[in-house]
Amino acid sequence: MKKEEAAAVQSGYPGWSGHFRREPEVPFARRGRHLTDLIVGKLLFIVALLAILIVFFIIGFLLRDGYQIVLEIGLWNFLAGMDWNPAGPTPSFGILPLIVGTLLVTALAMAIAVPLSMATAIYIAEIAGPRTKEVIKPAVELLAGIPSVVYGFFGLILLTEWIRILFDRPSGSSWLAGSILLAIMAIPTITSVAEDALSSVPREFREGSLALGATRWQTIRRVVVPGALSGITAAVILGMGRAIGETMAVLMVTGNAAIIPEPITNVFSPVRTLTGTLGIEMGEVAFGSMHYHALFGVAVVLLVITLAVNGLARFIIHRIQMTPARSRASGAFMQSVHNLIPVSLPRQAKRRVIHPRTTQRFAFLLISLGVVIVLAALGVILLEIIVNGAGAISLEFLTAPPSNLGREGGIFPAIVGTLYLVAGALAVALPIGIATAIYLIEYTADTRLTRGIRAAVDLLNGTPSIVFGLFGFAFLVLFLNFGVSLIAGQITLGLMILPTIIRTTEESLRSIPKSLREGSYALGASKWQTIWRVVLPPALPGIITGAILSIGRAAGETAPIMFTAVVFSSRYLPSSLSEPVMALPYHLFILTTSVPGADNQKFGTALVLLMMVLSIYLVAILVRRRYNRATVM
Amino acid sequence: MTGKRLSGVTAVALAGILMVVLMAAGCLGSQPSGSPASPSQQITVTGSTTVLPIAEKARETFEDRYPSTSVLVSGGGSSVGVRAVGEGTADIGMSSRDLKPEETGMYPGLVLHHIADDAILLIVHPENSIESLTLDQVRGIYNGTYTNWNQVGGPDLEIVVIGRDSASGTREFFGEYVMKKEDFIRSQEEFNSNGGIQQKVSRTPGAIGYVGLGYTEGVKQLNIEVDGNTIEPTLENINSKKYPITRPLYMLTNGEPEGAVKEFLEFIMSEEGQQIVASVDYIPLQG
Repeated sequence: MKKEEAAAVQSGYPGWSGHFRREPEVPFARRGRHLTDLIVGKLLFIVALLAILIVFFIIGFLLRDGYQIVLEIGLWNFLAGMDWNPAGPTPSFGILPLIVGTLLVTALAMAIAVPLSMATAIYIAEIAGPRTKEVIKPAVELLAGIPSVVYGFFGLILLTEWIRILFDRPSGSSWLAGSILLAIMAIPTITSVAEDALSSVPREFREGSLALGATRWQTIRRVVVPGALSGITAAVILGMGRAIGETMAVLMVTGNAAIIPEPITNVFSPVRTLTGTLGIEMGEVAFGSMHYHALFGVAVVLLVITLAVNGLARFIIHRIQMTPARSRASGAFMQSVHNLIPVSLPRQAKRRVIHPRTTQRFAFLLISLGVVIVLAALGVILLEIIVNGAGAISLEFLTAPPSNLGREGGIFPAIVGTLYLVAGALAVALPIGIATAIYLIEYTADTRLTRGIRAAVDLLNGTPSIVFGLFGFAFLVLFLNFGVSLIAGQITLGLMILPTIIRTTEESLRSIPKSLREGSYALGASKWQTIWRVVLPPALPGIITGAILSIGRAAGETAPIMFTAVVFSSRYLPSSLSEPVMALPYHLFILTTSVPGADNQKFGTALVLLMMVLSIYLVAILVRRRYNRATVM
Repeated sequence: MTGKRLSGVTAVALAGILMVVLMAAGCLGSQPSGSPASPSQQITVTGSTTVLPIAEKARETFEDRYPSTSVLVSGGGSSVGVRAVGEGTADIGMSSRDLKPEETGMYPGLVLHHIADDAILLIVHPENSIESLTLDQVRGIYNGTYTNWNQVGGPDLEIVVIGRDSASGTREFFGEYVMKKEDFIRSQEEFNSNGGIQQKVSRTPGAIGYVGLGYTEGVKQLNIEVDGNTIEPTLENINSKKYPITRPLYMLTNGEPEGAVKEFLEFIMSEEGQQIVASVDYIPLQG
């Protein structure tokens, strides 16, 4: 495939003979090419700046509505106040319990998710045979495709119930329930990124270690995992970002009492997170009131926490990257070699009472247990929804508008609305995202500006979806006066998936070997010609995968659209971009929380949403598999 | 010759565009044949999720009656309704509470239309043996004075207090009418919808919650004791206002309503409209 491209470039460029005959034309052609290069470069540069601009806009608009609360009650009282009681006789706006709640829920979620994810990642990368791998890897990735409102739905109906009965508590809505749910949601992210990192550790390290007589577990622990450390750290941080920013699932299971657990380790205490506060109170709050400003203040704090986590992550990854992966892995490798030679370390050999094979058996048992738990979680959620939802699916359900508050009729306008929202979001994000990625990879060296753009993209990536929703509401719906409309939702969702598209495009551009570009330049092709004809075509599958993953995310999100784009019900399909639409995740949220006696429709909607998002993910996985096979050949 | 590489990219791009177009076309094509192509005018109704069922049910009949008008109903909360009407982004707002001073200050032109009343029920788990409470006892439970059901004549079971979020109109009313502006106990679990509370209470043996009239599946409604009389939350008692916890529901317009908006509001106030109000478990206006 690569040879073919090089050949195509070659044939596309005038050869020697042409050069001689058309001598006077060449400078013109060159100048034209340079001009194109210049213009395209500038254009891409401007588009790339958008990412920074968006970040400033988001911060600006949140601050615009949030700073009054600090003026009114003081920064210290806001951040360290113990009471969140905005509607009380003497309103108080202390958000310390909310901050603590967010941190506690996230911390415990990570404590559950990281070991399970590591076990699954290690299993997929190092232990599973190719057949098993082909099943488990996509299965875990499908977990990432389940919309968060579906998790919330599952958590509200089953998880809190199990916790209440199992631990004999008066109520199951608790810190623990929130953390378990967030852990399940973070596991796919952590697992797939960590697995990528493990798989990219060079094969010869493993072979060297095994050749020296190390067991597979010793190889994994001392050679492979240390070698993949930077990727694993990134994975954990990404998962943490998802956990901190999650709204819809968390608010359905934590009980939302604004208290700090007593004692602080009481995992059965109800807690309230920053995102949950925004999710449940934003819709009803009186505009311009102190409470309204306080909620924007909460959004700013949430953004700052995300920023801090991201900053920390960048710092850690940077530190780890200071020592290049290869040398670090080989350092670890050398050390493991030392450890394996009993003569050089007789002291350790004597102390070793447990045989390494026993350790290995034990470790593998734990790892398998982790994988089983993860797969069981997936299975339970899917089964519950499929079994209960299958009965609701009928032709009418799929093609009719809802009636009687969604208790009867179908969900056709919601299906179409979701498709419109997703198509619009892609139309917004795809051109901007790809242009930004091309600029970052192809046009610039590592300057302060590109670092700024990258930081902005990272920040956007970590920005909670509810913050996008608030921004869309404050900026698009109110400030630009779009009203609650299709276009406001499309732009909001587009901004939300922008970082994913930039990231995946960057990754796939980076994976194109430098030699291809150099070959193209050597043949006299201009920069833009090289990008358009040599770099982009092989990068396309990667870009498509990224786009498809974003579709899945956009289709399943509730928080960004609930203040910007959706209506409860509509008999007609929208006829212009300025009309609001129905959407599946919001419809499910409303059926679950506000319409009694719609159990059938509820499960049916959950099933349709799940199937829609999962089939999109399945396409992504298939595209990638095809692509992988192609490169192997 | 140079077109060769280009065509690879273009082909995929074209295929992508084609797919999107086909998807859109397929969706439009399969629009149910029963619905008219495009109604000539639209009314947007937005706001309180409590009032929403009335607007939604009324819409279904109204659209059959006036096929040239389409009504778009959306939720979001009372404040969204007030703001949307005030800003002109919606024609009709829905609110389950009176206007706040900030709101009347910002939008002096708003007109309140009282369209129905709502009762608030106290609900417990079906296996809870408690039958009735006085309003003082309810307040005692919600402010943390009572923490076990046996303190108010029930079984020996810890009370799990469930309430609405602090921005809710229902909570505001409950806070003023039942709580007499006292603070709620801080460990109260909060949900942002009637349905959320109902589901929670129906699954939690020690729970108590307050909801609107329609949300009684799987839970037990408590009687309220007023001056020694036990009053059941039956429709009769509620309609006659014997049952003590009721509140007004509003629709709002910016200035006096005109045209289709006026027709819609008049429809809701008509006898047929008020029957719809009753059919979605609210209290119709008397005369």
